[in-house]
Amino acid sequence: MTLLAETDPLNWTVLLPVLAGGLAVWYLLPSPKRRPTAYGAAAGLVALAGLGAFLVRGLGDRVPQSVEAGLFFGFSGLAVAFAGLMITARNPARSALAFAVVVLSVCGLFLLLAAPFLTAATIVIYAGAIIVTFLFVIMLSQQEGPSNANLRSREPELATAAAFVLLATLLVGLQRVYDWRSVDDAIDRADALAKADRVPAEYLPPRVKADPDHMNVESPALTPAAGAFVRDQRAALARARVGARRSADDPRLTDHPAVQTVANAIVYLELSGFKDPDGDGVRDSCRAVADGLWELKALRDGTAHFADVPLSDHGQVRPVGGGPSKLPAANVSAIGRTLFTDHLLAVELAGTLLLVATVGAIAIAGRRRGAGHP
Amino acid sequence: MIGVSHYLAVGAVLFCLGLVGFLTRRNLIVMFLSAEVMLQGVALNFVAFSRHHGNLHGQVFTLFVIAVAACEAGIALALFLMLYRRKRSLDVSRWQALREPGLAESRDPDPLPPTTPEAPLPHLPRAGAEPARSEERPYA
Repeated sequence: MTLLAETDPLNWTVLLPVLAGGLAVWYLLPSPKRRPTAYGAAAGLVALAGLGAFLVRGLGDRVPQSVEAGLFFGFSGLAVAFAGLMITARNPARSALAFAVVVLSVCGLFLLLAAPFLTAATIVIYAGAIIVTFLFVIMLSQQEGPSNANLRSREPELATAAAFVLLATLLVGLQRVYDWRSVDDAIDRADALAKADRVPAEYLPPRVKADPDHMNVESPALTPAAGAFVRDQRAALARARVGARRSADDPRLTDHPAVQTVANAIVYLELSGFKDPDGDGVRDSCRAVADGLWELKALRDGTAHFADVPLSDHGQVRPVGGGPSKLPAANVSAIGRTLFTDHLLAVELAGTLLLVATVGAIAIAGRRRGAGHP
Repeated sequence: MIGVSHYLAVGAVLFCLGLVGFLTRRNLIVMFLSAEVMLQGVALNFVAFSRHHGNLHGQVFTLFVIAVAACEAGIALALFLMLYRRKRSLDVSRWQALREPGLAESRDPDPLPPTTPEAPLPHLPRAGAEPARSEERPYA
């Protein structure tokens, strides 16, 4: 259905990072057998490059050459690479430090996503408190010599296979939801046909081409180009189809009005067989198809809002004339307002949970030998 | 603009790497760190959707995730210390007596490779001779 599936039947954009990543992780996991690190590192680099290729090509959106894209790829590459180092390091102290780099990189991604308060909170709590506590525990429980805990792993083949099959499923799912290339291509072609002065010759049936005045052919057969055009538009409509409520009182969902418009225009094109060489009928139908598909796509990917879906107003700036919603610039005050209006009970519960956890940690770890316990 | 799907893909990769670490590693501390990496992947999803929908509920949920992770870290590290005091090891397989009935005990057939002992810390040579103390000004 998608163009990608036709040009890439094995879906190498997903297969390459998953296979190379699984191989690298399995190879580098701790094992009593000594394996040279270089092969695993090479497979890991191939997996990173494959992930970058998936992000650039596999998701349909064209990635612009902007500073934001550069920062995104830098931070996500750091996060993924150091997560891999963290799970493969033999020394738990090195794992903790690699985890710190993962947290800092994810905080960079948070900043790119316009969440400065969350960035600061995550750095303070994770990198400042949790990792230091971990390092203390590592220091308190340090062992001499080789240990089973650090030099062996449990079922590395099965676990790696399971996790990377899950990863492949997630990536393919993302691709199916967010890859709009087939719809974009259909919109572009309908748009080009709507702007053309004359219908291109390859769309016209042969008898009309030979005799332009002979217009009353009974249900002309579509030429291969016209047949492919109609089929692709149908596929794009099926991909972009959304439901809507007919009225505010009626809870049932029916097709969005644009779906019917596009379907009618496609049926008109198919039945007419493109047989008016300079007619406005083809042009109007193609315009209707392109506009309708564009509207449905905007509804599907969330850049346009349904009129009748109520949303909370807290901390949210709704655009006037459609387009993507914007976050408020005053992040901290908006988060505070949202926390203490919408989520007040959750705040209280989180505070209680922290108190209980503190009491529990002291009760568990505070026992000393000779105080009634062996 | 980088779309929400790119952040979701990175979050999925972080989650799966954390999953591999949690399932395979035997050191309790590394297992816990892997669980935290999985949480980071989930938090990235929440913040990306928060940006996508233009409201702050995703960021607020991530704050609660951090609060719960902090509780979890406190309890888990206290438990690790207690377990370490009992068995003198952080190996999770030392506690396999807690497995389900009917499961075979897991054994480690291959011996661990011999590791080269770490070089002893260097002894610094004494730099210079101790100066003679004078009776009149002992702390000069």
